[in-house]
Amino acid sequence: MMRRSASVEPPIATDATTLAPGHAGERGFERVVLPHLSAGFTLARYLTGNAQDAEDAVQDAVVRAMRYFHTLRGDDARPWFLTIVRRVCLTTYSVDYHARESSISVDEPSLQLIDSDETPDMALQRSLVRDRVREAVDQLPPLLREAIVLREIQGCAYGEIAMITDSPIGTVMSRLSRARERLGALLHGVVDMGDVA
Amino acid sequence: MSDETTGRPDLSTALRDALPAYEAPAALSAWATGQARRYDMESRGEPVRAPDGKRARTFSVARWQIAAALLCAAALGWAGATLRTVTHGMSASDQTASALVDTHIRSLLPGHLIDVQSSDRHTVKPWFAGRIDISPPVMDLASKGFPLIGGRLDYVQGHSAAAIVYGRRLHMINLFVWRTIPGERAVASTVRDGYAVLHWTTGDLSYWAVSDAAPAELDAFRAAYLDEASPPLSR
Repeated sequence: MMRRSASVEPPIATDATTLAPGHAGERGFERVVLPHLSAGFTLARYLTGNAQDAEDAVQDAVVRAMRYFHTLRGDDARPWFLTIVRRVCLTTYSVDYHARESSISVDEPSLQLIDSDETPDMALQRSLVRDRVREAVDQLPPLLREAIVLREIQGCAYGEIAMITDSPIGTVMSRLSRARERLGALLHGVVDMGDVA
Repeated sequence: MSDETTGRPDLSTALRDALPAYEAPAALSAWATGQARRYDMESRGEPVRAPDGKRARTFSVARWQIAAALLCAAALGWAGATLRTVTHGMSASDQTASALVDTHIRSLLPGHLIDVQSSDRHTVKPWFAGRIDISPPVMDLASKGFPLIGGRLDYVQGHSAAAIVYGRRLHMINLFVWRTIPGERAVASTVRDGYAVLHWTTGDLSYWAVSDAAPAELDAFRAAYLDEASPPLSR
């Protein structure tokens, strides 16, 4: 079998004649793509609304990413991988972008976020704010929610969000602005909107 | 950051606090790492998956180089004997297990897994009729944790095989079925390149289950399958 003979060969995939310059394959799928597995899982988790579908979607996305790995240029695989994750979520897990009934179920981020010097009153207040924020995000239309998750939770740049959601950058900015506006209205008195709202 | 006068968080802070960034589950990470390492190894040495022409051509060159090397060695008169020893060192069932693992991995590429996609055994079973000269028992084992996903016709070591695809949580199980080849005996379960392989025979049919699930899961799968499949059918 060929694989058994292969170990004696030089690593031909790094040969300049077999891969375009700058091809991410020089560093390997594991080093280039896998660091973004959790980011992919987080996105899938918010898009599908549950952990099981998110796992399945990321698994699909990894298989697809391997298939198209040779098309990746440069080393920053995060927007590229998130694009694949999002497409899998949309096509396979029927994320209904117009009328999704199910709500985001968010696992309680537990106590590690609470400062040790926080009083019980402050902890309760924080917990109430969290609930209100989740409810509000839940009420956003999916495209606005997706934009806000990518921006605020994943820390993506506008350009990255545009690539991931396959939208013009102006659309991304408009979605983010509308998302913030709606959240501001829904969370009036809960969060400080400054001049933004 | 909070507004000093109101004590209210700003929107970004509130969002990051309320909506956590998740860690990929350990099982998913482990699976992905295994796949990635395999992919990287194959990309460096033997691009079996060869998604693009460039690597496929590289593969041809590599094969040509190996062929040339083998020819030279054979001319010297000793390498051929060495190779025969290597080949003989692997039993027939070892070779079958290796071939099945390769087939299993190939089946996981997008679009390769199933020809007939259905969780309805009354759809999958008749699909094999006319495509292969056996009629393998097809059961939906969803109630036992192995949902039927579909079926596929495959080729293993030069003969056709019915491949029935089951799910097991995040894992896929390929159940290959063919008419027992004379001299073929049931072998114990084995693990190849991290994939579990389990073989059994009933009547005149030979079954090989292959999965990235744990070997114990395959044992449970066989028990569930045999439980439902009596008597085995063939025609």
